[in-house]
Amino acid sequence: MLNPQSLIRKGLPKGHFKDRLVRVLLGATTYFIVLIAALLFAKIIKDGAPVLFTSQAPYVDLGFLLDKNQTLHVFDDAQGVRHQLPASAYNDYLKQHEGAPIYNPQTFSYSGGGIVGPIVGTALLTIGSMILALFFGVCAAIYLSEYAKQNPFIHAVRLAILNLAGIPSIVFGLFGFAVFVLAVPVITSTPSDRSLLTLPLFIGDYMLSFQGWNSSLMAGCATLACMILPVIITASEESLRAVPQGFRDASLAMGATRWQTIRKCVLPFSLPGILTSSLLAITRVAGETAPIMFTAAVAAKDDLPWESLAHPFDLLSSQVQALPYHIYTLAARIPASEYTRRAQYGSVFVFLILVMALSLGSMVLRAKLRAKLKW
Amino acid sequence: MPPEESPSPQNQHCFQRRGFSYDRAIKYFFASNAGLTIVILLLIIVFLLKEGLGFFPGYRRELEIYRIAGLEFVDISRRNLTAHEQLSSVLNRAYFAEINGQCARELKRTREASAVFNSFSDQTSATRDLIVNNQNSGLDPNSEMLAALRKNHAIQKEKALTSLPATPHLTAAEREQLLASIRTRDATATDDPPLVTTLAQQYAAAQQQCAKPLAELRTVIDSFEAAGADLSTLVTEMTDAVTSTKEALQNADLLEQNRKSLLAAAANAKDPTERRKLLADAHASLAEKPDIEGPMRALMRRQPDCSATHTALRHACADILARLPPSLSQSDANRLLRAANKATPLLLDSLGQAPQQITQWRHDKPVPLSDAIRSFLTGKDWVTGGAWQDFYGILPLLIGSLMISFVALCLAIPAGVGAAIYINQFASPTEQSVVKPVIEFIAAIPSVVLGFIGILIFGTVLRDLSQLDALAWVPGFPIEERLNMFTAGCLLALMSIPTIFSLAEDALNNVPSAYAEASDALGASRIQTSFRVIIPAAFSGILAAVLLGLGRVIGETMVVLLVAGNRIKIPDFSAGLGSFFQPSHTLTGIIAQELGEVPLGSVHYRALFVVGILLFGIVLGINVTAHKFVSRTPN
Repeated sequence: MLNPQSLIRKGLPKGHFKDRLVRVLLGATTYFIVLIAALLFAKIIKDGAPVLFTSQAPYVDLGFLLDKNQTLHVFDDAQGVRHQLPASAYNDYLKQHEGAPIYNPQTFSYSGGGIVGPIVGTALLTIGSMILALFFGVCAAIYLSEYAKQNPFIHAVRLAILNLAGIPSIVFGLFGFAVFVLAVPVITSTPSDRSLLTLPLFIGDYMLSFQGWNSSLMAGCATLACMILPVIITASEESLRAVPQGFRDASLAMGATRWQTIRKCVLPFSLPGILTSSLLAITRVAGETAPIMFTAAVAAKDDLPWESLAHPFDLLSSQVQALPYHIYTLAARIPASEYTRRAQYGSVFVFLILVMALSLGSMVLRAKLRAKLKW
Repeated sequence: MPPEESPSPQNQHCFQRRGFSYDRAIKYFFASNAGLTIVILLLIIVFLLKEGLGFFPGYRRELEIYRIAGLEFVDISRRNLTAHEQLSSVLNRAYFAEINGQCARELKRTREASAVFNSFSDQTSATRDLIVNNQNSGLDPNSEMLAALRKNHAIQKEKALTSLPATPHLTAAEREQLLASIRTRDATATDDPPLVTTLAQQYAAAQQQCAKPLAELRTVIDSFEAAGADLSTLVTEMTDAVTSTKEALQNADLLEQNRKSLLAAAANAKDPTERRKLLADAHASLAEKPDIEGPMRALMRRQPDCSATHTALRHACADILARLPPSLSQSDANRLLRAANKATPLLLDSLGQAPQQITQWRHDKPVPLSDAIRSFLTGKDWVTGGAWQDFYGILPLLIGSLMISFVALCLAIPAGVGAAIYINQFASPTEQSVVKPVIEFIAAIPSVVLGFIGILIFGTVLRDLSQLDALAWVPGFPIEERLNMFTAGCLLALMSIPTIFSLAEDALNNVPSAYAEASDALGASRIQTSFRVIIPAAFSGILAAVLLGLGRVIGETMVVLLVAGNRIKIPDFSAGLGSFFQPSHTLTGIIAQELGEVPLGSVHYRALFVVGILLFGIVLGINVTAHKFVSRTPN
């Protein structure tokens, strides 16, 4: 007689341990990544935070954020006191103690003072490139989502966006160097020898000379804008498409033109989304080094970008320091020692905090937006 | 469109009658912005080609001069000489590896003792120098200041004594003795502590002891080294002659270029006197043809001499190398000996062919363009800025890039895809909401920061790990260079994990839920559903994620520039898996490192653009393949 009880399987199901094993293995992999990330952040915070924060009010070492970058001089005076002075303070010290002997002098390039130059340079590069990329990117996205129909042109545009998104940043650096630094047209009365082509403008002596903008803020912004354009277009198109079709239909049914519809009924609702996703693009622009190495960045500069300019527009054609390039210089070009640690870890810490704040901001805003915009 | 929809043309604005309208203009404005992406892509291609394509004719001319001036002829002998030197260095390394392996204990002991003393000296040198300097500059030895300095030195000494490296191979008593001798050391003393000296003596004695049975090997190696002397003299003599010919040819080329630009300037000059002056300059710089035939005849007279030297060297080498012992006792030494044994027939072969190559070589054989292209694509040397001859061979860079990517993908595929499967299939919503942002955060870390971490932290940690005795079985350990391909690969893996993770997770998410429901309904367990149904369905998407990760890894610049070690050389594959621990250079790194330093328009400058074109092509190919896979995902 068949016992119904015997049909019910007792104990753990077959393969239970295999199931558990696979689960634990996969979980361990996942948390291993998380652990590595946590270790990494902890190490940078542990070494970098003491540079930026102090135990007394105002709790932040403003000198590191607001001073210019200088060479660091390390030396002992005759009493055996060790001094670490940036170049300007070192010169003052020499003037005050004339004739006093100095022992064990050492110099460390780029390690003294603060990092206001790189911070400002990165901010200018980011702002400039984001203005360019947002303008062209949002316009392109409006075309793709509002006007485009299936035709060969759209196909080509989509293919171009897809391919641009994959191009390595160093190739953008080469492109920026060949195009913006060496080949774009400028209006000048004295064309350079290496100009590709000069066209007379018939206004005074001025000529249109294809000789490039040299290594400058403009060239760097343009290169970065080209690099980030596909990201902005894709993100903006997504935000535009998220606006319900009913909004457009209703507006068009009321007799509005297509442009009026876009301006009044589509853009206002998609703008928060566009701006949020462009925050993420900012983290990428601010963090890139390879495209600006040859187009805009300079390792050492005494003045802030806007100082000692003959004309305000010269700001655009001057080279700038940039935080990622500064970190590259600190990591690769100078020997590591206990005196360079402050500059190295401090810069990395500040940079990481900036980038993480932008990234976190974008994440929080996106979450808020998703909760708010429910059509 | 039916005609009655639009109002009659007479009422419209004049632009509208011609087919323009306000709305249409806006549309074209937006369309032109969309077209900007195509323009940028075309500009990238056009300018890369414009700067890059000039490379091949320029490189062809350089190779032509290389041949005409006779450098190529000398290089036949020089290559053999280098191979001979390399072989003797391998044999020497094997010899010393054998000795050091036999007295490993003494070596480690003396190294540890010196490490302790060196660390102490480094930490106290500044305060010590002050005392010595002040005393030398005539400060009263009993003054208050000197006492203060001595006190500082004592404090620093105590501090240093607490942070000295570990000495696992010294006994506790020995360490105590060493520390005591350091503690009681006078600031002005210059001799080493007694234990350091004793250990060094012990080591030297052990070395001598071990070297006794190896005396025969030593004589074999010495006679092998001595055999190359003739060839070395010959190469040195010929080198001087051919370099001067090469310089003359290059100068003539420069003058000719100068003349052409002067003539062009003269053709454009408006002022007749200026034009006459430019033309006169151009005629003045008309180069006389450099004398090639004379030096070449002198070089050719050496042909029989050269052949004879090669034949003699071949016989000598064959005799000497046959006397090598079949094996050595230490595994490291044995590996090197095997490498030498493998290289021996190659050297003998190359020496044997040399006389024929020497007699057949002709300086007036034309250099076609295909030679330049072949030399670029299959060249094993990337040598620039040297006094001898520049070579632009892509292989060392390409191999470096590929090996680093291989390491990165080996680590990132299991981690990224595994995490994606876990998060998508097994994790609770809380876990998801924690892990996903963390991995997104990793994606936001700028690459230069990762490179910084690699150069200052990870490289050192890895090297210290590799020196542990417990890990000595890992191939390639202990590593010689802190910055190597493996270090770079690890950091790039961390960088590509977010890409692979999020794309693979998307692919898993896109599998229709009906698949999982059907599988559940048939009684499959959770694991069965995941691994037999969902992952196969999402497989092409996961493959695309991996490919896009690869594209990111190959194109990454800053990490490899900082961390890969930047040595332009094809790795020594005889080390097996250990060859991943050698430094190398990459396609992206070379552009970033050298573009800032080359003169505009030079062959070297153009070579970097050709590397850029190659990189562009590789990444484009990877991306196109990846998107083919994406479009295959079921929806």
